[in-house]
Amino acid sequence: MRFFAIASLAVFVAICGAVTQASAAEPANSATAAPLDLSSLETRLRETEAIGLMTKLSLRNQVDDLLNQFRAFYAGRLETTLEDLRRPFNLLMLKVLSLLQDKDPSLAAALASSREAIWAILSDRVKFAAMS
Amino acid sequence: MRKQTMFALLIAIPAMSALAADDAATRKDLTAVIALQGLPCGEVVRVETKGENDHIATCKDNKRYHVFINSAGRVVVEKQ
Repeated sequence: MRFFAIASLAVFVAICGAVTQASAAEPANSATAAPLDLSSLETRLRETEAIGLMTKLSLRNQVDDLLNQFRAFYAGRLETTLEDLRRPFNLLMLKVLSLLQDKDPSLAAALASSREAIWAILSDRVKFAAMS
Repeated sequence: MRKQTMFALLIAIPAMSALAADDAATRKDLTAVIALQGLPCGEVVRVETKGENDHIATCKDNKRYHVFINSAGRVVVEKQ
């Protein structure tokens, strides 16, 4: 259960890991956190106590919904624009960051610093398909 | 008798504190879940557990929500 709860979260942020190189562990409370590699990110999401189990599952649902919107958009089944999809992406990012920022600030900082890298993948049909 | 009482307390106090910690974690988890759904609550102050991943949460403003995981694996929050 716990594994599944973080799996989609990991997919969401794994996009970041795919476009960044592995980095050494960053110091806590760093304002300019280095981006994470995928395996490190998965481990930290799995182990973070900043987010409860049901909250992780709820986030997973919302990540799945967002990824499905992108899939439908690229498949021509959803009439919208990337600009419109940016809004729910930003909102979801804010939700994750707000949950992490107090109890796991270094992970929050790493995610925040990777926001544009994640968006760059989501907003590119070819890169998104490769990640999906 | 007094020794027995002391012994019982020594066992009971850590157990109670562990339960309280779990309860606090559940309240916080449910508070976040309800907020993620965009529903008004503020803070969950009481939790009635009906089963695994199935709770009735009472908020500070007395709103009550049924929070559970449905068969599709989605977290559902229903206003009571």
